[in-house]
Amino acid sequence: MAEKLLEIKNLKLYFNEGKKNEVRAVDDVSFDIYKGETLGIVGESGCGKSTTGRTIIRLYNATDGQVLYDGADVHTKKSKAELKEFNRKMQMIFQDPYASLNPRMKVLDIIAEGIDIHGLAKSPKERMERVYALLETVGLNKEHINRYPHEFSGGQRQRIGIARALAVEPEFIIADEPISALDVSIQAQVVNLLKELQEERGLTYLFIAHDLSMVKYISDRIGVMYFGKLVEIGPAEKLYTTPCHPYTKSLLSAIPLPDPEYERNRVRVSYDPKSHNYAEDEEVKMREVTPGHFVLCSEREFELIQQEK
Amino acid sequence: MEKILEVKDLELSFDTFAGEVKAIRGVNFDVLKGETLAIVGESGSGKSVTTKSIMRLLPDSSTRYKNGAINFDGKNLLSISEKEMQKIRGKDISMIFQDPMTSLNPTMTIGKQIMEPLLKHRGLSKKEARTNAIELLTLVGMPEPEARMKEYPHQQSGGQRQRIVIAIALACNPKLLIADEPTTALDVTIQAQILELMKDLQKKISTSIIFITHDLGVVANVADRVAVMYGGQIVEVGTVDEIFYNPQHPYTWGLLSSMPSLDLGEDKLYAIPGTPPDLLNPPIGDAFALRSEYALAIDLEERPPLFQVSDTHYAATWLLHPEAPVVTPPPAIVERMKKFPGSRYYEEKHGGES
Ligand SMILES: Nc1ncnc2c1ncn2[C@@H]1O[C@H](COP(=O)(O)OP(=O)(O)OP(=O)(O)O)[C@@H](O)[C@H]1O
Ligand SMILES: Nc1ncnc2c1ncn2[C@@H]1O[C@H](COP(=O)(O)OP(=O)(O)OP(=O)(O)O)[C@@H](O)[C@H]1O
Ligand SMILES: [Mg+2]
Ligand SMILES: [Mg+2]
Repeated sequence: MAEKLLEIKNLKLYFNEGKKNEVRAVDDVSFDIYKGETLGIVGESGCGKSTTGRTIIRLYNATDGQVLYDGADVHTKKSKAELKEFNRKMQMIFQDPYASLNPRMKVLDIIAEGIDIHGLAKSPKERMERVYALLETVGLNKEHINRYPHEFSGGQRQRIGIARALAVEPEFIIADEPISALDVSIQAQVVNLLKELQEERGLTYLFIAHDLSMVKYISDRIGVMYFGKLVEIGPAEKLYTTPCHPYTKSLLSAIPLPDPEYERNRVRVSYDPKSHNYAEDEEVKMREVTPGHFVLCSEREFELIQQEK
Repeated sequence: MEKILEVKDLELSFDTFAGEVKAIRGVNFDVLKGETLAIVGESGSGKSVTTKSIMRLLPDSSTRYKNGAINFDGKNLLSISEKEMQKIRGKDISMIFQDPMTSLNPTMTIGKQIMEPLLKHRGLSKKEARTNAIELLTLVGMPEPEARMKEYPHQQSGGQRQRIVIAIALACNPKLLIADEPTTALDVTIQAQILELMKDLQKKISTSIIFITHDLGVVANVADRVAVMYGGQIVEVGTVDEIFYNPQHPYTWGLLSSMPSLDLGEDKLYAIPGTPPDLLNPPIGDAFALRSEYALAIDLEERPPLFQVSDTHYAATWLLHPEAPVVTPPPAIVERMKKFPGSRYYEEKHGGES
């Protein structure tokens, strides 16, 4: 297997820790991300996907656990120069294209901000050329350069966010629902673009999304989260053909397909977390079903999964 | 069936520093009582602007209504006073926005925000409104609804915020619900629940729904009829089966071809080539022509009218003109057409099962 770029070890992020309204948004999650791969993360709304991404990139301080990037702990103190370099290597594309763009800045300056901070352009001409090239890459026009974010549609704004992330030539990109706001054709363009960039530049992605057909298409491996926990992770193909955790099964049964007849006859499986009926002393942990395919389960459930195969 | 809303020849522009953005260029459609009309189309094609104009939510200073009428309940919404409009907004017509954060007030508790329309439009007492608000939160599948009442929007995940917005929109049992990407931020299981919820509500109180989404799977699930927008115009409209199994406009073909399928290992996704039309200087003829391999010479000169395909199905493409050459749609589309009685590729199924 390829080299590890990130190791996430027993990561926890609790909001309002110790208080009555404590939220265990990320609750003891461990996984690795390999160099050059795309790891997709799916799961119920509110299960902690964005928080996981934000903690990895240090937008939140971890409550507990570790994030190692190329062996170095992300959450320990760093010098200014180290921080700057680190911020360049890891970029995030946000779920919410409205909140993440400064409404008072023109598109040109939004995209060029990172280029300026990191001194990536040698002359004003090169700076412009880079911005033009980035706009073209994400499917916007040159004419858009002097406009403000509010003058764009939702999808157009998301493309500005993608251009901004790409501008600093990162190694690792956390894409938090980067395509949810886009129409399917632009989704296809962006996904093709992300794939191309990956092949050309060896980028690594953590791709958070709801659209499971797109996630399957873009990801090498997929992790499924439920209520702050990672419940299943494995090769994309495996996860779709032989899902093991009942939540994954329920998720797959709910994917809407662009076929009215199929939709009229679809049968959805629902998931009830109580159905596990775990006993007090049962150890529930990640267990390997087939090489690289892990499921959160008890010994008893693990045996059942083995029998089903 | 009874028409609840009629949008007629709508044409509107925005004045910007760069010039006049011709965002809506002649849009016509009806919404029937109790139906769900889905609007799909490219990003920037004018879906949100169209619906915001129904709610009269576009910025007064820069929006220019150039032509048309929006008839609802015997009134032209474009000519009534703001005061009258306020009585309709949030009561008879309510809207779920594409972006939950812009429609929630960050400084107000969730409880207050849901109770507001209940107090304002339904004249409930504070206590009744509170009970009702908790019921609404339960209805949209929010965990721990009572505790949420005291919380603020920033403490919620993207999907939870959206469910709050949906709860607010449903508060007054509106006659028309406009949902702009209401489930884009939700995972598929919650999405399925919300769609079921909306359908339920529709059965109970015959709400009409305008549903904007990019997800063609969702369209297939919820829509009775579908309107396809491109470059500020409706280029095709029909029943959900007509649009998915017998599409006629090359843009609709491109749209339907861009979806990844779950079982095929496509190497590269099909993406419509080129960029969206520049609405400062919109193309004269068929706005999609420059990106279409099916374009005819006339497409560059004259705007195609809506040609009738059936009683319910219309498409604005010169390909439907009696003198146009016969073309073969992309393979994925031909596959779809095989399922549609009445299309020229229809293949009757063998064996009894349907
Ligand atoms: N700033 C905050 N303060 C308190 N709780 C928070 C905060 N941000 C998020 N949460 C809670 O943490 C949990 C995880 O939120 P997160 O945004 O990571 O979910 P998500 O999986 O990204 O969901 P979605 O798919 O809806 O975006 C949710 O229950 C949410 O209510
Ligand atoms: N306030 C405004 N000022 C100037 N132009 C605007 C304004 N609002 C929208 N536009 C332009 O009008 C066009 C239609 O925008 P609209 O928001 O309706 O697109 P949409 O179809 O909803 O796209 P999306 O799927 O990305 O949400 C776009 O080209 C957009 O840039
Ligand atoms: Mg999120
Ligand atoms: Mg929109």
